[in-house]
Amino acid sequence: MAAQTDRPSSIDKSIALGLEYEVNAGINLGGASPLPLPVEIREINSYMPLLNMQIGANVIKWLDREHKWGIKAGLRLEVKGMETKATVKNYGMEIIQNDKKLSGKWTGHVQTRYSSQQLAFPVVGLYRINKRWDINFGAYVAYAFKNSFDGYVYDGYLREGNPTGNKVTFEDDAQATYDFGDNLRRFQWGLQCGGAWKALNRLSVNANITWGLNDIFESSFKTVSFNMYPIYLNIGFGYIF
Amino acid sequence: MKISHWILALSIMISAVSCIQKEAPNAECDILTVTLPDDDLNRSPIIENDRVTMIVKNHVNISELAPEFQLTPGATIAPPSGTMRDFTYPQTYVVTSEDGEWNKTYTVSVQRNNIINLKYSFEDVKTVQTLQGGSYDEFLSVTEDEQTHRRDTMFWASGNPGFALTNGKNGPSTYPTFQTSDGKVGNCVELITRSTGPWGLMVSKPIAAGNLFIGKFDMNNAVAKPLQATRFGTPFTSVPRYFSGYYRYTPGETYQNWNESAKKLETVPGKLDECNIYSVFFESTDDMEYLDGSNVLSPDNPNIIAVARLSDSQRQATPDWTHFQLPFVFRPGKEIDPDKLANGHYSLTIVMSSSADGDFFSGAVGSMLLVDEIEITCQ
Repeated sequence: MAAQTDRPSSIDKSIALGLEYEVNAGINLGGASPLPLPVEIREINSYMPLLNMQIGANVIKWLDREHKWGIKAGLRLEVKGMETKATVKNYGMEIIQNDKKLSGKWTGHVQTRYSSQQLAFPVVGLYRINKRWDINFGAYVAYAFKNSFDGYVYDGYLREGNPTGNKVTFEDDAQATYDFGDNLRRFQWGLQCGGAWKALNRLSVNANITWGLNDIFESSFKTVSFNMYPIYLNIGFGYIF
Repeated sequence: MKISHWILALSIMISAVSCIQKEAPNAECDILTVTLPDDDLNRSPIIENDRVTMIVKNHVNISELAPEFQLTPGATIAPPSGTMRDFTYPQTYVVTSEDGEWNKTYTVSVQRNNIINLKYSFEDVKTVQTLQGGSYDEFLSVTEDEQTHRRDTMFWASGNPGFALTNGKNGPSTYPTFQTSDGKVGNCVELITRSTGPWGLMVSKPIAAGNLFIGKFDMNNAVAKPLQATRFGTPFTSVPRYFSGYYRYTPGETYQNWNESAKKLETVPGKLDECNIYSVFFESTDDMEYLDGSNVLSPDNPNIIAVARLSDSQRQATPDWTHFQLPFVFRPGKEIDPDKLANGHYSLTIVMSSSADGDFFSGAVGSMLLVDEIEITCQ
């Protein structure tokens, strides 16, 4: 191919050292989910993955002459988000505003919107199956620089405090909003694995799963009584220099 | 390996751990309905979160009643539904939830027609502990039957239980309705229009007027249908002629009008808040056993027989204790049927509010109404 002859000499040097460079872009599909779903969740009524963009750059260091085994490290700027509507029964909730706390058990509908803008640093081991296929497995750490987690409850009823408390019905356009954005964790980490298929000499199609291993909320935050883990499938393209 | 394989693999993984679990047994333990055999009830029983009042017909022998309860599915009640008990005094029942984790003790009492007092001095309150860790006053008045010495307790209703939802750990004097020692004689009731803060705004109820009334505050409707949450009236077997008492009123500084469509409070320059004190005598029919915020003063409400209400000028600022004596003004063509009267088909309510438009969430925060020594004079 003509492109191979245009390669700058610095890249040729890198190749001699067993280094390759890659830039990539894609979208994240997935959500933050409790695992397993707690008994309070009776039905997931709707789920929207939202348009979560991702861009990144990687360095690959091949460990052997045959370029079979390698290590890939890089950085990734991405959004993880979702929007869900669920039906819950006897679901613990607590809203704090101006130092006043309203807590109770909610039965009815809950809408949730989660969005986290993160800078992630993945390090994975790489195995080249053949000329067209790579697979990888590794871990990532991420710093979330912008977080939101909010929503509202509607069409249901609250039992004040506990299931024996006063019953307050919300219907028609009556709803109560909540915002737990300040309680989201800044540092996240998890595992990732995936594969790349070289569609053209320089162009690959990538698919990777990132599986968060710590709760998206700070451990001191107890209102959401179960842990939620971000699990995303990233699909995108890479360009190898 | 194609991308579709990855998606398939991911969905299998996620669904493997994300199955909807089997529904848990119910945690609630409510009395949903109460019935008495033989058509003994005069009107629907009043069921509150931990109190049931059965209003029975005059002939009913209340020392032998066997109420039947319908509960939250799966819940149990002790003593069981249909147990014969003596309701000369209130009886307690314990309802336990289906999951066995929760139980609630109900006080079940019987009310005969016309147990209400005719004079109220607001000396007695019960302190209600809220589940949020605070407390508020609930006014009550006890009547003792001269012959049987049977004591009946009437609880005044107010919007305090609704305000409690957002009032955290605060005490009685932070509520819209509470007892104060600044009475005309002894203690009295103090009503203050309060802001409900960001929460109240969130559910389109930005202010709470202090209110006190004879009837029931229905928490279940407090957010979704606030006008229906104030249920006015209790059976009354005499014909009222005058409603009198003492009051003091100081309007708050800034009158604000709640714009429902814009969802915001708008200041109305120059407008002064007004209080409201009135009593309504009305017929309870099957389709309208009680009045509520949407119809208690409606000119075209066919059930209303007579109204005694502060005049326009009396509803203004009144810094010193002022006496009022209001005649019950009978509406044209309304007559009293003596049989209905004797059988408890008429009702009476007394309503007091620190902001006359408080039911529509308009008024001035800080408006303060004190009321004491009120009396209904009958024919």
